[in-house]
Amino acid sequence: MIDEKEVYRYLGYNSEWIAGLGTDTKNDYTYDPADGSSEVITGYIREAIASTEAAMFPKACYGRFPIEVKGDGRILLPYGEVVSHDLTRNLYDCKEIFLFAATIGAEYDRLLRRIRLTSMAKAAILQAVGAAAVESLCNKLNGDLRKDAEAGGYKAHPRYSPGYGDYALENQKGIFAILQPSRYIGLSLMDTLIMAPEKSVTAVIGLEKR
Amino acid sequence: MRTIQEKMKEGFVFFDGGCGTLLQAAGLKAGELPETWNITHADEIRKIHYDYLMAGSNILKTNTFGANALKFQEEGEYSLKNVVERAIDNAREAVAAAEAEKSPGTDGPSAKEHYIALDIGPLGKLLKPLGDLDFEDAVELFRKTIAIGAAYGVDLILIETMNDIYEAKAAILAAKETCELPVFLTTAYDASGKLLTGADAKAVVAVAEGLGVDALGINCSLGPEQMMGIVEELAEYASVPVIVNPNAGIPRTENGKTVYDVTPDKFREAMIRIAGLGGRILGGCCGTTPQHISSMIAAVKEMTPLPLTWKEHTLIASYTHAVEFSGKPILIGERINPTGKSKFKQALRDHNMDYILQEGLTQQEKQADVLDVNVGLPEIDEAAMMTEVVMELQGVTDLPLQIDTTDSKAMEQALRRYNGKAMINSVNGKEEVMREVFPLVRKYGGLVVALTIDEDGIPETAEGRLAIVDKIYKKAAEYGIAKKDIIIDPLAMSVSADKESAKVTLDSLKGIKERYQGRTSLGVSNISFGLPNRDFINASFFTMAMQNGLDAAIMNPNSLEMMKAYHTFCALQGYDENFADYIEYASNLPAVTVGNGAGGAGMGSVTAGSRTGSDAAAGGADTQEKDSLIEAIVKGLKERAAHLTGEYLQTMESIEIIDGKLIPALDIVGKGFEEKRVFLPQLLMSAEAAKSAFDVIKEAMQSKGAAEEKKGRIILATVKGDIHDIGKNIVKVLLENYGYDVIDLGKDVPPELIVKTAKEEKIRLVGLSALMTTTVPAMEETIKMLHAEGVDCKVLVGGAVLTQEYADMIHADKYAKDAMESVRYAEEIFALSLN
Repeated sequence: MIDEKEVYRYLGYNSEWIAGLGTDTKNDYTYDPADGSSEVITGYIREAIASTEAAMFPKACYGRFPIEVKGDGRILLPYGEVVSHDLTRNLYDCKEIFLFAATIGAEYDRLLRRIRLTSMAKAAILQAVGAAAVESLCNKLNGDLRKDAEAGGYKAHPRYSPGYGDYALENQKGIFAILQPSRYIGLSLMDTLIMAPEKSVTAVIGLEKR
Repeated sequence: MRTIQEKMKEGFVFFDGGCGTLLQAAGLKAGELPETWNITHADEIRKIHYDYLMAGSNILKTNTFGANALKFQEEGEYSLKNVVERAIDNAREAVAAAEAEKSPGTDGPSAKEHYIALDIGPLGKLLKPLGDLDFEDAVELFRKTIAIGAAYGVDLILIETMNDIYEAKAAILAAKETCELPVFLTTAYDASGKLLTGADAKAVVAVAEGLGVDALGINCSLGPEQMMGIVEELAEYASVPVIVNPNAGIPRTENGKTVYDVTPDKFREAMIRIAGLGGRILGGCCGTTPQHISSMIAAVKEMTPLPLTWKEHTLIASYTHAVEFSGKPILIGERINPTGKSKFKQALRDHNMDYILQEGLTQQEKQADVLDVNVGLPEIDEAAMMTEVVMELQGVTDLPLQIDTTDSKAMEQALRRYNGKAMINSVNGKEEVMREVFPLVRKYGGLVVALTIDEDGIPETAEGRLAIVDKIYKKAAEYGIAKKDIIIDPLAMSVSADKESAKVTLDSLKGIKERYQGRTSLGVSNISFGLPNRDFINASFFTMAMQNGLDAAIMNPNSLEMMKAYHTFCALQGYDENFADYIEYASNLPAVTVGNGAGGAGMGSVTAGSRTGSDAAAGGADTQEKDSLIEAIVKGLKERAAHLTGEYLQTMESIEIIDGKLIPALDIVGKGFEEKRVFLPQLLMSAEAAKSAFDVIKEAMQSKGAAEEKKGRIILATVKGDIHDIGKNIVKVLLENYGYDVIDLGKDVPPELIVKTAKEEKIRLVGLSALMTTTVPAMEETIKMLHAEGVDCKVLVGGAVLTQEYADMIHADKYAKDAMESVRYAEEIFALSLN
């Protein structure tokens, strides 16, 4: 499920405004832009959520692998040794990880291309909806994997993606080599290290034995 | 020994089973390339092949699933050539060993016929336009592997586990262009019965048979139980034998290991049912073992396969779905065509792709099933334009396309690149034209429109036209093109020139149906040429034609009369279950039907007006006087803003409206945005309302011959390597609203192009956008190059990952945190430059 409030957040609305969603805002402008038009925007957002839900084809693949945190920022990951101080902090006390890749599919990308032809406002909204959609997919998967880990006596660390901190985007290559998401979920890595389809995530989840 | 084609016509043929899972059990590590084992662990590979042969398999898949030039080099021990050739050696040696063996059963492997299939898996890259792999590059990658395998000697090419029909097309073309070997295709479906990129089984059959595969089917992803429905669908539409290679169930992990649940016994039982549904070439994929295969073969070989039958379905397909020509008439939208449309011609000359795509989307909204694409204009390169329009359209719409051109180069390029099985417009009874068009239909597949005209012109009688039909069918058959892939257009001619002309066309339609059971299409509107209110005649003729068996019409879906004729006919003819389409259509028609275009717009304005009216009343307590145009823009009411601007233009000068209304309105919203009271969607909606007001002003100025005044020219570009352009586009919309002339260089723009354009156009401000940390260096490089080349301009940077710190580091003149700040900076720069 795509969370409407999350969409507002991606669109840059501040938490104060989101908290006040549905209530009347005070009007101290001659033409308060928030007056009257927020209904239109809410309508657009709901429309975008409905069309995204119809177009999305959520898929994920994952694997569980042993790792070794070697110190000095060096970590032995299933695809080779990596230097990242930030990931080292995240994987503190972990000897295993889940690696996952998730995508909402290519049809959303076409939907976005289509909307761009008609309205930038709607395109911006659809972008935010797509981001919220893949986020919610990741949250669900992450929740399932956490439960799985806990059942086996492990604590799951917060997920960590290439591009966060000093865990370089270059790591996408290794993750793609190991998980082969193009084969299983139709997700591919472009030469620029950007993923296609656009709304996709790869991440590491550290597993700490309790 | 019979060839594989002979063998599969006579009965069941058995593939081997899974390999990857067995290799993992033998010690293959995650991330290790399995194909290297052809060299390092040849014994294990041969053993797997041997075990499958002893289990009774006829076809071995070489261990070359991932053997392509993206993963393997040209030189060295693990060269692509060496990996592929050793894989074939391993299979050959296993065949020799098994055939030498006297097996314990009565008919051991020595009695069997064995074939080696060169296994071709997907490249792991998504093709353009959604990914970054060019179609021709994909063809070339496949060609390299296939050329090595074919030269070294295999019996067939197996293209397998494809989850994108477009990539499958590239692989099939590569095989067909490289060798004469039989080509088998199996694709990997999802539990919903679709490929990951959206195609259903019917669409896959249409595309693959169009390209001339010898057998097709399904493998991987699912277990045999989940494949039943898909196998049924494949068997219903495919004329070639159906291949079924399931997994041993859907994989799941248990204690960190991948496990498959379907035992050899369960596998056998399911495969018996699959054979009963029409599966003819049977084997296994991930998780299946020689035990699964031998258990299956023991049972299935005692069965009689369903007979292979020729299927008469006339199909075309996009990358998601097939359209079948049978029963309910198919609507082919004719609006992507410059003939008689000055705006469309201008769009082609200006390379205004958005305009052309919009024409496609509008027709899709109006329920066209197929879009005709004609971009012929003497002054443009038709082949290049046709290919580009086809690619771009397929980036936004899932409707199948009809390639409409007389330029055979344009036709071939477009057919090659088209993602699906296209319609082709057209061929006719002229020898020369058939010689040109039929080989393309044969090679790429397609449903070709055939006009009943030949060297002697258009016959005046139905009998004369049917004679041409006969000739076309026969000639097509010589090229191996079936009747079902030809759709006859018996030509509608102006009834005002010859009162018999409608009757002749209708008689021809009837004749084509009765004599040949052929498919028919018409360009309906020609009938009314020279008459007033042409739609009236068109619509009645359309109904008469449908009554005479017309399968498809090339028509204008925006025409109210034509759509009325279509919906009523479908309802009356029983094509409309519960009248659902008719009710939907009829209850949404505008109340006023005459002059509906203007009436519709008028109604729109009224609605917008009344909504604004109530808003104004609600806010009426404010002391300041409200201006309705400013308010319309602030609230983002596009139609209202355009309408009011038109009214103001009666009494005010353009510049007064711009400076007195539009800019102040944008400033109100901009200020609200800066103060975080207004957010991005609102900012953009206002920008779009302002743009619609500007458009009205622009048009008025153009009609008066006045030149539009621009404040300055700005280059915008998303830097090299970055394909995210939404931020850049937002800035563009706002800058244009503030009166700047924006040269939009697009996304993934090389620094050289930015420098060249800035120099040539004497640009004072360049805006660069980057979303990714990895592309910030490209931004830096662009700035460096602008400086090194001595271009006298300011550089403004923005994008999600940028900060003031980054901007300083890469020597940008300005970091703008959002679109409004970009506008403010432009105002600053161009105000300075005026002084």
